[in-house]
Amino acid sequence: MRLLERLDGRRVLLTGVTGFVGEALLQRMLTDLPGLVPVVLVRPKSGQPVADRVAGLLRKPTFAAARERVGGLDALLATVEVIEGDLAAVPALPTDLDVVVHCAGDVSFDPPIQDAFATNVDGTHALLTRVVEASVARGRPIHYVHVSTAYVGGRRRGSVPERSVEHDVDWRVERDAGRRMAHRVEDDSREPEVLSRLRREAEREHGRAGPITVAQDAERRRRTWVKDQQVAAGGERARSLGWTDAYTFTKAMGERIVEELTSGRSRDQPGAPALPVSIVRPSIIESALVSPHPGWIEGFKMAEPIILAYGRGEFPEFPAAPDSVVDIVPVDHVVNAIIAVCATDPEPGVPQYFHVSSGARNPLTFRRLYELVREHFEKHPFDLGERGAVALPTWRFPGSQRVERVLAQGETAHRLADRALGLAPRSERVREFSRDLDRTKTRLDSLRRYLELYRSYTQVELQFVDDRTLALHRALDPADLEPFGFDTAVVDWTEYIRDIHCPAATAPIRRYDVIRKRRAAAGEPRARRLEGDPAGVLAVFDMDGTLMSSNVIETYLWLRLPELDRADRLREIGALIRRVPSYVGAERRDRGGFLRSVYRRYVGADLHELDALVDEVVTPHVLERVSGAALRRVREHRAAGHHTVLLTGAVRPLARPLGPLFDHVVAAELAVDAHGRATGFLASPPLVGESRAAWLVRYAEVGGFDLSRSYGYADSHSDLPMLRAVGKPTAVSPDVALYRAARTARWPVETWATPSVTSRLRVPDVRHDTTGAALT
Amino acid sequence: MSRPGFVLEVDDRTPPLVVHEGEGFRLETFPRGTRVVYPPESLPGIRDADGAIRRALLEPTNSEPLPVLLTAGMRLTIAFDDISLPLPPMVKPDIRQRIIEQVLTMAAAAGVDDVEIISANALHRRLTAAELKDIVGERVFRSFFPQGALYNHDAEDPDGMLFIGETDRGEVVEINKRAAESDLLVYVNVNLVAMDGGHKSVPIGLAGYKSLRHHHNSQTMVNSRSFMDHTKSAMHHSAWRMGKLLADHLKIFTIETTLNNDVFPDSYGFLMKREWEWGVRDQASMLAARRGLAIAPKSVRHNLYQGMRAPYGLTGINAGETEAVHELTVAKVHQQQMVEVQGQSDVLVMGVPYVGPYNVNSTMNPILATCMGLGYYFNSYRGQPVVRKGGAVILYHPVEPDFNQLHHPSYVDFFEEVLSTSTDPAVIEAKFEQQYATDPWYIHLYRTSHAYHGVHPFYMWYWAAHAMDHVGDVVWVGADRKAVERMGFRAASSLQDALEMVSGTVGRSPSITYLHNPPHLIADVR
Repeated sequence: MRLLERLDGRRVLLTGVTGFVGEALLQRMLTDLPGLVPVVLVRPKSGQPVADRVAGLLRKPTFAAARERVGGLDALLATVEVIEGDLAAVPALPTDLDVVVHCAGDVSFDPPIQDAFATNVDGTHALLTRVVEASVARGRPIHYVHVSTAYVGGRRRGSVPERSVEHDVDWRVERDAGRRMAHRVEDDSREPEVLSRLRREAEREHGRAGPITVAQDAERRRRTWVKDQQVAAGGERARSLGWTDAYTFTKAMGERIVEELTSGRSRDQPGAPALPVSIVRPSIIESALVSPHPGWIEGFKMAEPIILAYGRGEFPEFPAAPDSVVDIVPVDHVVNAIIAVCATDPEPGVPQYFHVSSGARNPLTFRRLYELVREHFEKHPFDLGERGAVALPTWRFPGSQRVERVLAQGETAHRLADRALGLAPRSERVREFSRDLDRTKTRLDSLRRYLELYRSYTQVELQFVDDRTLALHRALDPADLEPFGFDTAVVDWTEYIRDIHCPAATAPIRRYDVIRKRRAAAGEPRARRLEGDPAGVLAVFDMDGTLMSSNVIETYLWLRLPELDRADRLREIGALIRRVPSYVGAERRDRGGFLRSVYRRYVGADLHELDALVDEVVTPHVLERVSGAALRRVREHRAAGHHTVLLTGAVRPLARPLGPLFDHVVAAELAVDAHGRATGFLASPPLVGESRAAWLVRYAEVGGFDLSRSYGYADSHSDLPMLRAVGKPTAVSPDVALYRAARTARWPVETWATPSVTSRLRVPDVRHDTTGAALT
Repeated sequence: MSRPGFVLEVDDRTPPLVVHEGEGFRLETFPRGTRVVYPPESLPGIRDADGAIRRALLEPTNSEPLPVLLTAGMRLTIAFDDISLPLPPMVKPDIRQRIIEQVLTMAAAAGVDDVEIISANALHRRLTAAELKDIVGERVFRSFFPQGALYNHDAEDPDGMLFIGETDRGEVVEINKRAAESDLLVYVNVNLVAMDGGHKSVPIGLAGYKSLRHHHNSQTMVNSRSFMDHTKSAMHHSAWRMGKLLADHLKIFTIETTLNNDVFPDSYGFLMKREWEWGVRDQASMLAARRGLAIAPKSVRHNLYQGMRAPYGLTGINAGETEAVHELTVAKVHQQQMVEVQGQSDVLVMGVPYVGPYNVNSTMNPILATCMGLGYYFNSYRGQPVVRKGGAVILYHPVEPDFNQLHHPSYVDFFEEVLSTSTDPAVIEAKFEQQYATDPWYIHLYRTSHAYHGVHPFYMWYWAAHAMDHVGDVVWVGADRKAVERMGFRAASSLQDALEMVSGTVGRSPSITYLHNPPHLIADVR
């Protein structure tokens, strides 16, 4: 009898239809098994009703044939019964179901421990409880089909039979322990030692930007830490019990629940009847061989990240043994097997196991897979810009230890380079170097991740026996063998991997590459254009380092040295040089403190004399050093009708030369005594880091400015809060930390070059004018 | 007796010739048949300069002697040419110092106490105190500067300018108020080239934008054939009309001086000699200079060149009524600089030296280099241009895109904003001039700092308008490609390449003329 007839009129509940296997299964049923009535259990997603989710699914191109058969989307929707529900809270199921196929599950290999249990253990438990209830209400047991994984056997070696996994782990104990562990990690993360360590790390990176930025980063670090710990806890527990990771471990626990709850002897549901149960265990599921069309795949599965990374030349070596078997099955084989299983009527309480795998009869070794992937990329290399085809690495399979060593060396080198970068003076070249370094870091991180993830899979020497699956296949009606067959021995790996799977898996990346190329052709984010209504728009500029290449110590010297004679000059410079190390330290820790310590040296200076000195002697120096591009931008903003603001940590007299360009100038105010002489203290705290942002917000509020349409220009990491406060920030000749932040946020980065004809070493002098000619 | 200028025809025996290129020079081998125009050798300087000055003041042309014009209680203003003249600056004492000192002595003798001394810098940058001192000398500086009686002209001071009237062509005449309201204005000039002096002194040097725009514009400049001949220059015609109007309102006593061609100090004497006449000493100093410049860092080269002072000799001094004095002055300048050249050529070659009027103690930026080459040197002719209409000009200069932001802030923006839009003088005049001329920031910098006026780069570009209109091709040898391209020109790495590039316009075997300048020369093209 054909499957079409055997399944005619059967009502089949499907979970996980928004996933890869579930979608393929639903597609096949709607297209080729018109008599079967699918019922889908769909989880509502935030803001999207369940009906819309299903409609969105059925609108996909793969369902075109099904839509055509019934005459449109609405007609197709009418054939599918939708139940809204979550595995965390499964609603009561309809009593007229014949089969329940559970394909939902957490496909991530390294979920946090509680998530793995929630989906694969609690979810299965909740669903089964409802299935048993429905069976009781119906008076006839419902056939429960559980989609598991071939790897539930864990890290054993040799052939794996199609039967229950042997272990005596109590899933209840493990589940409860996992939950407790997750809570404990949460609690641990709030321990003072952990918090203070994370805060110190955040401070090292963001200290200059201010305490709120540090706090935000520390909290982000804590969350990451919690997740990492929970993931590690899951993985470690799995390995300690003989599984590869939390995924296979909880999948195995899930199978045990199925076996227990359907046995008729469950502790949880005393008196419940035994159910007919089939457990389908596919190995690594990849793109379709034939149906819906060759190469059909949704999203990235297990092998794609490695294939893609290899194609980009980013995977120099792989820790697998060349002769170990990669057990891959096409998704349509898995779907066909599930459909065939649905058509069976197993004896209640006696679970049937089916391995959908290829390794036993049609093995594909790592080396062969590598060769096929390489062949594909040799013929169709990734087009990564103007540099031509990527040089494909040659894998020699040197063993995992050697790969590990190379990777560890790379990571160490990166760490050292990164530390060196923090000390380097800013320049275009340093920024370029930091960009390369960050790229290397991304690559190293993904290598590390995949190495960890696949380590156990690449080492397994498992052979999944698939005799029962083969028997099921052979029992199909001869007419069904062609459309519904699932004998993996028919797969021609060369054709499948090289000509079907690789092109399909790389297609989205190639499409994305075209977009990226277009974006790259457009270059880095463009300089901002001044457009829109100018009313209520601010343009905020930092001074030192942004408008001109100067720093606080330099400008201090401009103010102090002119009046000193030669000996005093040397003494002053000497005193400063001796203090440079402590200044550098202070600058790194806390910019406000640094400014205070430099401004101490102004003690005794007459403020009016300073003003006069600036006008006569320092102004030409400032105007000589200020960047032409910077002035042009300030003036463009003025011309556009924006309100221009100069924010500087320098003392007020130094803001005088550029003052006429700004509507408002904020500078450090030196406190003066009764005689108008500087006391060496500041009249108010220096405006640096977050206080700039806070000041800006207040200024905008009072003046009625719209910060979201306002512009900001700054050069230093400490200005990050200020730049974040405006809607149109630009990093100008930034230091590495700000450069990274700007790249992440896709802010324009500009270099406002200062004139090359002036020497930084020349200091203003009352006895010489700007041309160097003597005045006395 | 100094030898007159002459035109050399390059043959097999001609050695490589000096070509100036910014802060450096090269020895270039020119194709056979190239005409090289050499200026006359330096005329002998007047031995007793102070005596000559005294004579000029006491026996002026078309005027009563200066002491007669000076009366007790009068308002006397002395204006003098600013640092843009002479080029290079002269060794101390400056001729202006000598003249001003004698004028002040006569004024003191006549009991004049209301005296102010103004640098007639029009829209040029304010001179620094040290620069003022270099020109007027220590004694004058000390007596006048601290009291505020020695200062720079400020054309943007709303209270400092006086509207005199309009010429019959509707040209606004507005000059420095103090000068205009004086009983006597003494103008002390240095007439380095034939373009200077005459009515170009007061109506231009003490004027502002409102006046200058009538003659400093692309239309006038294209129609000035050339600036070195005021009878054929539309710009000078306008200035002359203004000068005549001004002469009716104000008593002006003009003192004009002419200098000889001693533009390089002794150690660079070889630069003023004809290459085949170099002696052992010249060869040695040439080699030393070349090797030294080759290894010196940019800043050292810059300081070396900018520090050069020329040991000019005074060839003439005339005082009195402006126009009469100027006739005598121009004759003297011609005697020193004029060289007869027979007919035009297809290609004109010029080396642009390190200094022009607007980069003394500063940087010669690309716009100034263009002005120097296509503005001043190209126009250094009488009769007709040295190059035929539609011919090619080949210039030597590195044209590095370096700007002195203190002196030339509007130039930076002109280069980035204006030239990237258009290089056509008429287009940029219509589109941008007004905006730059009235920009408050440029005006602020002009008045308080040491910046050229916002409109100044436009004038530089207009100076070159006649050349750009006249020639078909402009190629710079050894120039920064990007900077030259921005200005609408092309760059070549050698003379051979440049000739190759212009062959489309002038053919494979063009006639070539090289102006061996500096020292200054005027080609009298017949």
